[in-house]
Amino acid sequence: MASSKLKSRSRSKPAPRPTPNDPIEWLFRAARAVGVLVKTWQGWLILVVIAAQLLLPLHYYTARRDLHDERFAWRMFSPIRMTECAVRATLDGAPLPLEREFHEAWIALARRGRFVVVEQMGARLCEKYAQKPVVFHLDCKYVGQPSQSFGGFNLCNVPLL
Amino acid sequence: MSKKRNRSNRPRPDKPGPASSGSRTSDVPPPKEPSPAPLPVARAKLGKPLPPRAPLFWFGFEVPWAKLALARFVLFGLLAVDAFLQIRHAPRYGAGDFNVGHFPFLDGIAPGRAGYEVGQLLTTYLFALAALGVATRLVLPIAAAIYAWLYFGSQLDSYQHHYLVAILVAISCFVPWQRPPNAEPATPVRTWAVRLILVQLAIMYLWAAISKLDPTWTSGRTLGGQLTGSLRAAIDNTVGMQAASIAVIAVELVLAATIWLRPTWKIAAPLGLLFHLGIAQSGLEIGLFAYLMLGFYLLVIPDAFFVWLAETPPVRSIRTALHRITRATSWAAWAIALAAGLGIGALVRLEHGLSAAIAVSAIPVALAVHARLLGTSPGTVVAVAHLWALVLWLAADRVSAVSADYYKYWAGSQRRLGDVATAEYAYRKLVDVAPDLELGHYYLGRILTTDGRGDEGLEHLREAQRLEPGRARAWMVEARWLASQGKHADAVAKARQAAFAEPSNGEARTLLETLIANRPAAAGRLEDDLEKL
Repeated sequence: MASSKLKSRSRSKPAPRPTPNDPIEWLFRAARAVGVLVKTWQGWLILVVIAAQLLLPLHYYTARRDLHDERFAWRMFSPIRMTECAVRATLDGAPLPLEREFHEAWIALARRGRFVVVEQMGARLCEKYAQKPVVFHLDCKYVGQPSQSFGGFNLCNVPLL
Repeated sequence: MSKKRNRSNRPRPDKPGPASSGSRTSDVPPPKEPSPAPLPVARAKLGKPLPPRAPLFWFGFEVPWAKLALARFVLFGLLAVDAFLQIRHAPRYGAGDFNVGHFPFLDGIAPGRAGYEVGQLLTTYLFALAALGVATRLVLPIAAAIYAWLYFGSQLDSYQHHYLVAILVAISCFVPWQRPPNAEPATPVRTWAVRLILVQLAIMYLWAAISKLDPTWTSGRTLGGQLTGSLRAAIDNTVGMQAASIAVIAVELVLAATIWLRPTWKIAAPLGLLFHLGIAQSGLEIGLFAYLMLGFYLLVIPDAFFVWLAETPPVRSIRTALHRITRATSWAAWAIALAAGLGIGALVRLEHGLSAAIAVSAIPVALAVHARLLGTSPGTVVAVAHLWALVLWLAADRVSAVSADYYKYWAGSQRRLGDVATAEYAYRKLVDVAPDLELGHYYLGRILTTDGRGDEGLEHLREAQRLEPGRARAWMVEARWLASQGKHADAVAKARQAAFAEPSNGEARTLLETLIANRPAAAGRLEDDLEKL
């Protein structure tokens, strides 16, 4: 074994070619494939779709501020889907019946804890009622996790939950 | 995917036909009659030649024409029906002039109620045309754009399966769905886009499995909280919810690894079909999505099955008839279809059925202009497809409750938001569309009696009482109205009927007691039954 190594060194032959299962070879092959793909519009499209589909769901686990919002993350039937939030709103300190202001489908989304929907509701109410204090309270219950509360402040001053 | 297999898949100009598609086509039975080497013809029509080192994983991927044709019919047929069924949700779009788009820049162009209804009618029509393979290069990009607008325009639709459909329909614009010249069932059609569809599904399964690597899922609590129906009972009585939850993760991981690779389709096909059949039985509110996924598994079933199916006598006769229609041209058929289409549009009970039918007539008109420019007549297939798509509207309208739901939801949301005039209009339409539905008569009667149009209102209240004699609310509204008119004895009689009709209704009993005690509060407004729902 040692002598064969020496022989190969003495003849200054190139290093043995990596096998097809070699991870480095796989990387090179992948890089070559990408290099060929970018030469055609079809290849660009394939790369964009794959990159987007691999990275967009990653965004949910790394950077999304609202974990109730599972859009584009392929989290079908996840535990978060079963979140139930009690939503209360007040306008200038008085209880505000949301069903008189918004379609029930939006209220259903708010009950699932979707921050951006609640924030947009708040922005709408602030505009409609001339900046009177609009406060939302979300008391959310989760499967297998402790409950959490959100809001409790004037969304006209602090527009994000 | 070794290099060796890639080399064997690389097409060789000196070896036309199935021989160039490697081991995959070895399971395709040889045609009974010698056919004139269809493969190069089919390929020659599929666009410019690709770079010499183009990855065969993508650009060498082929499916037999029979598989592509059946998948096209099933997938776009299902999408057409699903698009029509979505129309019942149109009234929530634009209600109260409030919207949150999936992306902020879409807020301004989001669909309203009418836009959503017309948009779904158009996608129904376009998918129906695509199912028959008519002008797929034209209709699919339009359908994909409308579908994306409807989905991404509002978070009201946050269903991830609609997001998946939006992506897959966009990718499917690049699939050569139309029959290549002289293609036979076994003729391979090269399509990188079908490979991309399968890879997209694999990525979805992978992330879906990752999202379930969570103690609340693996313990079975999450699945147990969502499953209903016969599947729930079957799991409870056999493996239990925890084992089923872990099995779901395993299945999704296996599908992620196998659905995009031809050699592993023999694992993916039965597993995926069983998995989505199970989801269809789960009681989850996902519409036709489980069936659509089953449709996508047509792409994974071994090719030989489709070639065999296409050569069976009944399918062969259907193919012959279709080829005859495809080759025929006729101005008369085109004109009849156009006129009949407008008539069918007028029979659809949706608010904009006729307007949408006029709008979609632009497609056969455009195809006729195109044919005229080429010096020919429009194809009979255009006339047939146009009629088939509009008949699909009519059939879906008549066999489903979409129209009734549309007016019911529209009226209800407008009533709750305080727009009584629009609510009255929508309830009148509901009564027209579904005269046997108690709800329409009840609310219309209530609105009319409150508005001082007692005689007409009473007619509807009495119709509601007739339709649902075991429900108290219509009797109660009549009793209250009679009391407000000073007809106390009649009011007591109606309140007694209300309490008799629905003995468990506490409000009816309270109303009766109040009227008997002759308290003025009896004329007050009771809580709206529907708002409790």
